[in-house]
Amino acid sequence: MSMNSENRNTGNIYAACTEFEVALEDHLQGSLRGSEAATLTDHLQSCVGCRAALADAAASARLLAIAEPSPDPGPGFSRIVMARIRQQLQASEGKSIWRPFVSVAWRFAASAAFALVMMVSFELGRRSQSHSDQSIVAQNRIPEIVQDRPALPASRDEVILMMADTSNGKQ
Amino acid sequence: MPDVPKNMAASASALSLPVSRREKGEEERQLVRLAQSGEEAAFEELIRRHQQRVFGLVSGILRRREDVEDVVQQVFLKVFVSLKRFDQRAAFSTWLYKISVNECWDYLRKKKVRPLVYEADLSEEQVSRLDGVVSADQPPASSSDRAEAKDLLERMMEKLPEQDRQLLVLKEVEGFSVQELAEILDLNVNTVKVRLFRARARLMDVYRRRLHSKPAPPAEGKEG
Repeated sequence: MSMNSENRNTGNIYAACTEFEVALEDHLQGSLRGSEAATLTDHLQSCVGCRAALADAAASARLLAIAEPSPDPGPGFSRIVMARIRQQLQASEGKSIWRPFVSVAWRFAASAAFALVMMVSFELGRRSQSHSDQSIVAQNRIPEIVQDRPALPASRDEVILMMADTSNGKQ
Repeated sequence: MPDVPKNMAASASALSLPVSRREKGEEERQLVRLAQSGEEAAFEELIRRHQQRVFGLVSGILRRREDVEDVVQQVFLKVFVSLKRFDQRAAFSTWLYKISVNECWDYLRKKKVRPLVYEADLSEEQVSRLDGVVSADQPPASSSDRAEAKDLLERMMEKLPEQDRQLLVLKEVEGFSVQELAEILDLNVNTVKVRLFRARARLMDVYRRRLHSKPAPPAEGKEG
C-alpha cells in the first residue's frame, strides 16, 4: 500500500497520505462510494496517519458547526440596492444632459484647431517658399557686367531714328 | 388500485425534481433576460434570490462584518452595470459569485486590511467548553455559551492562513459545495478537496496549540 512515508506528523498535525486526501475529504462529506470507499477503508485499517487525520477532520467539522451562517439581510436589502442603483442611474443621466453639447463643443473645437493649424502651416509654408525662392534667385543672379543690349529696331522708321540719334551723338 | 396512484406519485416525484430544477433554471434565465432588457423588477427579484448567498460568500472572505453590507451592495451595482455583457453561458449564480469574490479582493487590496490579532489566550474554563464540543459533539447549551464558543472559534480561525479560513467558512459555515467553490475560485475540484482537508488539520493544530499548552495525545503507534 502506497503511503506517505513519514506521514508528516510534525507538531500536532496528523498528515494524511497525500494520495488519499481527496478520498478522505469525500469520506468526511459522505460522498465516497463503491470501490473507492472500499480502498479507503482498507487503507485506514493500516494507516495511523490517515486515521488520525480523519479524526481531526471530523473534530474540525464539529467545531465549525458552532458557527452560524450569515443571516438573510431581509427584503429591505433589495430595495436599498435598487434605490442605490436608481440614484447612480439618475446621477449618470444628469451628467448625460450636457453630454451632446459637450460632444459638439469638443468636435467644433477640434475642427477649429485643425483649421487653424492648417492655416498657420500653409502660411508658414508659403512664406518659407517665397523666402527660399528669393534666396535662390539671389544666389543665381549673374553680376551685371555687361549692360543690356539696345533693342533692335522693329521698323524702318526706328532705323532712321536710330541713325539720326547716332549721328547726333557723334556730333 | 391503491398502488397506481402511489406508483404515479413516485414516478412523478422522480421526474419532478429534475424538471423543477430545469424549470427553475429556465425561470432564472428568463429573469436575467428581462433584467438585461432594463426591467428593474426582474433585477430586484434576482437580488432577492441571491442576496443571502452573496452575503455568506462576502462574509466568508471579509473579516469585518460592518464592511459586508457595503461590499454586497457594490457587488449588485456592478452586476447591474455589466449585466448586458453577461451571455448566460455560465449560470448566473456562478457569474455573480465570481464578481463577489473579485469585489472582496479589490476591497481588501484597497483597504489593506490586516489580520485581526487576538493576543489574549483562552482561559481553562473556555478550553473545557470547547473540548466538549470537539470531543463529544455537544453543542453549547445556552445562548451565551454558544455566543462565547462562536467567539472562541473566530479567534482560532484568525490564526489560520487566510486561504484556509475562507475555504472552511465558505464550505462548513456558509454551505457552499466543493463544486461551487471550485467554480468561484477557479480551482480544480480535487484541489479544493485537498485544501479543505489540510485546512481542517491546521484548524485542529491551532486548537491544540492555542487551547492546550500540553501536547496532543500521542498516536497509537505507527503501523504500515
